[in-house]
Amino acid sequence: MTFSPELAAHLGLIFVIFNMLVLSAAFMVWLERKVCAYIQDRVGPNRVGFEGALQPFADVIKLLLKEPLRPKAADAVLFTLAPIISTAAAFAAFSVVPFGTSTTLFGLLDEPGIPLHVTDVNVAVLVVFAIASMGVYGIVLAGWSSNSKYALLGALRSSAQMISYELSYGMALAAVILMASSLSLREIVLQQQGYWLGFIPKWYVFPQFLGFLIFMTAGVAETNRAPFDFPEAEQELVAGYHTEYSSMGFAMFFLAEYVNMVTVSAVATSMYLGGWLGPFLPDWLAWIWFLVKVFAILFFYVWMRWTLPRLRYDQLMEFGWKWLLPASVLNLIFTAALVLWMQ
Amino acid sequence: MDGSVIGFYVLAAVTVLASLGVIGQRNPMYSVMLLIVSFGGLSGLYVLLDAPFSAVTQIIIYAGAIMVLFLFVVMLLNASKEEVARTVALGPGGMRMAAVLSVLLGIEMLWALSRVPSSWFAQDPSATAISDVRQIGIRLFKTATEPGEQWGHVFAFEATSILILVAMVGAVVIARKERSS
Repeated sequence: MTFSPELAAHLGLIFVIFNMLVLSAAFMVWLERKVCAYIQDRVGPNRVGFEGALQPFADVIKLLLKEPLRPKAADAVLFTLAPIISTAAAFAAFSVVPFGTSTTLFGLLDEPGIPLHVTDVNVAVLVVFAIASMGVYGIVLAGWSSNSKYALLGALRSSAQMISYELSYGMALAAVILMASSLSLREIVLQQQGYWLGFIPKWYVFPQFLGFLIFMTAGVAETNRAPFDFPEAEQELVAGYHTEYSSMGFAMFFLAEYVNMVTVSAVATSMYLGGWLGPFLPDWLAWIWFLVKVFAILFFYVWMRWTLPRLRYDQLMEFGWKWLLPASVLNLIFTAALVLWMQ
Repeated sequence: MDGSVIGFYVLAAVTVLASLGVIGQRNPMYSVMLLIVSFGGLSGLYVLLDAPFSAVTQIIIYAGAIMVLFLFVVMLLNASKEEVARTVALGPGGMRMAAVLSVLLGIEMLWALSRVPSSWFAQDPSATAISDVRQIGIRLFKTATEPGEQWGHVFAFEATSILILVAMVGAVVIARKERSS
């Protein structure tokens, strides 16, 4: 491989995407605290920066300066490894998400320029799924290696929950794959071009509405957020799997959680909401639509967290196995029949 | 040296070393983690062979699903360290037998490897690999509509899925508690 402007631009793009993910996690922390505050009729952070916008950065600096504690009975290697696995898995999943058409950086590069994604593999959806399944290890190892009962129970709950909901998650995605007959996220987005009746965009959320609901529900469970936040149910488990973590170890779990949210939203945007497609904006600004849609889903997540109470654990398992999974299987069978019939 | 050749050696080394680590040390938790690393290396090799579908399914099924179950079992048994077996279960005769068998196996493998024609290595992997998922699907599920046409592997696929279903029902029946009537 020789060095070319394209290669340099691509490396730059990877750098930008990585930092955007970190920043979006910081932004999400701020948004969560602000929205939560308004929902509870409070003001929320408002001291550091404009409306407390710099609060996440202050928090990170504080966490960096804290002493990293490790319980004596903990397994040193796995205890250190667990947050790294969590964070790495969270970031890696984003590498196959496309968020715009290609760019020539205002004519700096030859046509057609570089496409706006890290990599486009022809099995992108499966890659997202595979990496999501690796994220479980971070949590399980954190819980086990801490050698503490709260952490272990939190980890057990979390992994049972993630494994149960991953099935419905995958089944919902499979229905979209059937309709698009492609596993590449870019291809799936491009399939959603055009309008029905001249004004309804051909997004898969309309024909796959049930699938979208299933995907969103399973996505909340996958990212361990309220109303499915059992792994960290404070009243029962202190802080769940990361009870024993302090300093940057704790911060990395936090980061992984928020990046996972962004990834789930980005995948939902690509699969159901037409990715970067949208009216009014020229091609080279299409990524703004992508950001708007991802942000809308993220806001919905935050809104839901501060509105709904936590379920009981047996309710969660029952809901996952007895309602969500059968619904997603029926959705898949129905979609398959429909696709066959349309051919 | 070509980038993919370097990649091959790195990934092969990771896979082999991790596999040795699995059996080489006594903490079962580390064994599980090293086995996952070894699966990751294998999946990287599939990517180099231009077979991304195999690579991803390797991760989803082995590293993602099966190893989580392994991890659960190890975690819940709380077997922190394996006991060192002081007494060898096999007698001296058995040990000799085992040594002879392993030497035989080694010779057999060397013999088999020496018979591989060098033309196998000269092949361009991308020429034979099926990277397109659609093609994999067609290979698997193709049904012959006209006489003389080649069938896919539909029968083997369906038979396997029924076998797995039977095993699953069996596992549920065995795991279920007897209800006292």
